[in-house]
Amino acid sequence: MSVLDLGSRITDTLAEHDVDGRVRALRALLLRPVLRAQADGELFRLARRHADWLREWCQRETGWRLVVEPQTVRLFMSAIADGPTSVAIAERQPARARKGDPPFTRRRYVLLCLTLAVLERSDPQIALGRLAEELVLVATLPGLESVEFTLGNREERSDLVAAIRLLLDHGVLARVAGDEESYAAGSGDALYDVDRRVLAAMLSTAHSPGLVAAALGPAPRIDKIEAALHAPPTAYTEDETNRQLRHAVSRRLLLEPVVYYDDLPADERAYLVSQRVGLTRRLGEATGLVPELRAEGIALVDPDDQLTDRRMPEQGTDGHATLLLAEHLAANGAVELTALRRLAKRLAKDHAAYWRRSTREPGAENAIVADALDRLVGLGLVRVDRGDAETVVHPLPALARFAVTRPTVHEGRRR
Amino acid sequence: MIDSAPDEGGAGTYGPFAYLAAPNAALYRRVMRGLMREKERFTVHVRAEQVYAALLRDGGDPVTEEAVAEALERLAQPSWGNVLAFPDSSRVTAVEDFYRRRMLYQMSRPGEAAERALAAYDAALGSRGALQSVALEDIVALLTRLRDLTVAPGGEPDLAVVHQTLRSLRERFSELAENAVAFMGSIQRTLDLHDADVEAFLAYKEQLIDYLERFINDLLVRGAAIADLLAAVTPTTVERLATIAAEREARDAAPGEAALVRTEARETWLRQWSGLSEWFVSTPGRESEAKLLRARARAAIPALLAVVRSLHERSGGRTDRTQDFITLARWFATLPDDGDRHRLWRTAFGLTPVRHLSVTAETRARWEEGVLGNATAWADAPAVQISPQLRRTGSYERRGKPARVADRSKARALLAERARREAEQTAAARRRILTGGPKPLSAFGVLDPEAFRLFLALLGDALAALGPTGDTAAVHTSDGALTVTLTRTPGARLAVISTPDGELVGPDHLVEIGSAADGAMDGAP
Repeated sequence: MSVLDLGSRITDTLAEHDVDGRVRALRALLLRPVLRAQADGELFRLARRHADWLREWCQRETGWRLVVEPQTVRLFMSAIADGPTSVAIAERQPARARKGDPPFTRRRYVLLCLTLAVLERSDPQIALGRLAEELVLVATLPGLESVEFTLGNREERSDLVAAIRLLLDHGVLARVAGDEESYAAGSGDALYDVDRRVLAAMLSTAHSPGLVAAALGPAPRIDKIEAALHAPPTAYTEDETNRQLRHAVSRRLLLEPVVYYDDLPADERAYLVSQRVGLTRRLGEATGLVPELRAEGIALVDPDDQLTDRRMPEQGTDGHATLLLAEHLAANGAVELTALRRLAKRLAKDHAAYWRRSTREPGAENAIVADALDRLVGLGLVRVDRGDAETVVHPLPALARFAVTRPTVHEGRRR
Repeated sequence: MIDSAPDEGGAGTYGPFAYLAAPNAALYRRVMRGLMREKERFTVHVRAEQVYAALLRDGGDPVTEEAVAEALERLAQPSWGNVLAFPDSSRVTAVEDFYRRRMLYQMSRPGEAAERALAAYDAALGSRGALQSVALEDIVALLTRLRDLTVAPGGEPDLAVVHQTLRSLRERFSELAENAVAFMGSIQRTLDLHDADVEAFLAYKEQLIDYLERFINDLLVRGAAIADLLAAVTPTTVERLATIAAEREARDAAPGEAALVRTEARETWLRQWSGLSEWFVSTPGRESEAKLLRARARAAIPALLAVVRSLHERSGGRTDRTQDFITLARWFATLPDDGDRHRLWRTAFGLTPVRHLSVTAETRARWEEGVLGNATAWADAPAVQISPQLRRTGSYERRGKPARVADRSKARALLAERARREAEQTAAARRRILTGGPKPLSAFGVLDPEAFRLFLALLGDALAALGPTGDTAAVHTSDGALTVTLTRTPGARLAVISTPDGELVGPDHLVEIGSAADGAMDGAP
């Protein structure tokens, strides 16, 4: 081998290494839009190293801002839910204090926002008890009547703790002393440092909520709010129009498991249909996702099964039930809810050896079906129609991915 | 009501201050200030309409003439006694004036005292304080004079002048120190955003910053000069100055107390001198006040700028984030169901992780085989391959929990095992094709596929290096482990190498395959 040859080989290897680093950094940001030096170590350094490239890429392909600071990297993601499937998916991406915790409720969301409002004006350190006292005052502001918060009972304190945990998780707060558990029990307190930079980067909207609120009136609908928060600037040229279309469809493809053509507004659909191959290839190269182009729509799927907060198929009773119900729906088309519940009951009996014990109690099938449908709707795989007499579950085209394949193939492929 | 005598009963009860707690305190205060201003112009008796006219000009909220008249009447009541009232007996020129009860007012002595006290109170609290560059200049001048006086050649200095200079110095210095304290306090208050008057602050900040910068410079330059001057005054001179001052002050003392006054005065002067030098001269153990002041003044500039920035952001409506969060809280509170709230969370915070379906390598391979177009429906494309184990049991492992972790490590172990086996095979193949000296191709005989592939690759490289004309060529493998030397044998016959897959036939050559590094063949490359 000549020296020259070796040189080009090294260059190739380095370039490959770079590409790999960018893909990993972008994937990390898609999964966790705030990366912090302390918590995310290597991924944070990777994102910083490729900051210029990433910033440029995000701006070009999606219009998202990437802000790189000494201690944090934040990708300001956003998308507008549009069309029934898209809305159904967005409605099933709740905030959670920690993985596996129940989704946020009205009071938790309100407390989260009020906590942020209080922190915005607080000193660099704050104790949970003091924070709670201020919250009680702020919670009496007009417009918040529907939420009761007096710190009177454990339930209220637990809701506050859930909001605090979410902030801890994102690095807005860093615990210095004490713990939340004992505070919720009413016996202790906790002290935190406030990280203003992360706090300042919490909101990811094109327009400030405080500013658009006046135009929306007292109790606006969610789609109005969403449109107002992310209203794009007026496009004056065809280039700008095209760029906005590209950003809109790319955002949806990057954020949502399945994008059906039917779900898109006419102009976005026309754009995506004409650009799908090139566009999905670019997105795929940068993220490691694989475009699944089908007649009904597009899914960017992840061969590593990492870029998701909701796996399919997943292990465990609920994941297994979801898979089996999905197969049934894929094979039989629309099914009534009651029929699904009957099926779930039978499945619980059949899989008694593997499923958790509580699934064989009377009425447990309702919870199983509800959970499974929540997952399937959240993945854009089925649609639930609440009719007058009977609720019917309709499979959406991508559910066919989970149709049972011929058993011979199964057995042959796996050892 | 018309009590013209000064209210003596109010003395000792602080009646003149009572109006401060009354409902219309602000108006009373304005009236009193108006009266005070008239008094400063040496007006003795004041009519209600004059006070009213004064209030129209004082920049406060508009008031009615009746309200002013009533206020004056209340202030004149005996229990308060801020004002003395006299009936006005002068001529009138209009009918309505005649019917109106006319009075003349005059501030009472207790009222005036109270007003002065309140003015002083306002001044002390409201003052921003000022750092005085002029004071620094004066101190330099006074110190220089003092030095010139004490080291003047030819006899005793003029004691009166020395004393005078010392006293001026003390006065100037205590003003400076007091002002510095007030100034730093007021900066701190200005920086406290909670109750900052935004407009006043924005108007004031430019001047303030200029002023701070000028002062820091002055303090740096003149402070150093002062420190030098102070250092030039020897302790004995200080003693002498204190003695001179004390002597002169003791001269006024009552007979018999002179000695005591002299000692005390002397000690006071010495203390004040050391205070002065501590203010300007740093010692290794202690920073001088001037230095601390400079540091604080300097630190105030960026802090001020930060305040300015946040005020601008706030007034520009760009980011009053507190308001943003409260708006969001309201929306979360009023949206009808949890689905909408989850949607708001996703859209406003953008912290939701992406969500994607997965795919297995087998499935992808089948898609490739199937030659799918963009128009293939999902139903017609091969479905995702799902592990039968998972389908049957709901977990990848037959038993127990740690499925996913175990799964990965197993796969990793498998990969490692495969890599190791491949490495071993390569090493073994290499060992088989080592020649241990030049050897004709025809002597190789039979090679197994593994060794043959390796051998063929080496041969290809070597032949390429040899070219159509060369006689001999030596090449290394890319990892440098093997060296191949190929030599053309003139008039060679055909050589045949047999492998299980077929035979390689070609003109015979001399080949030498050697290990570049001894022992490198044994392990994995």
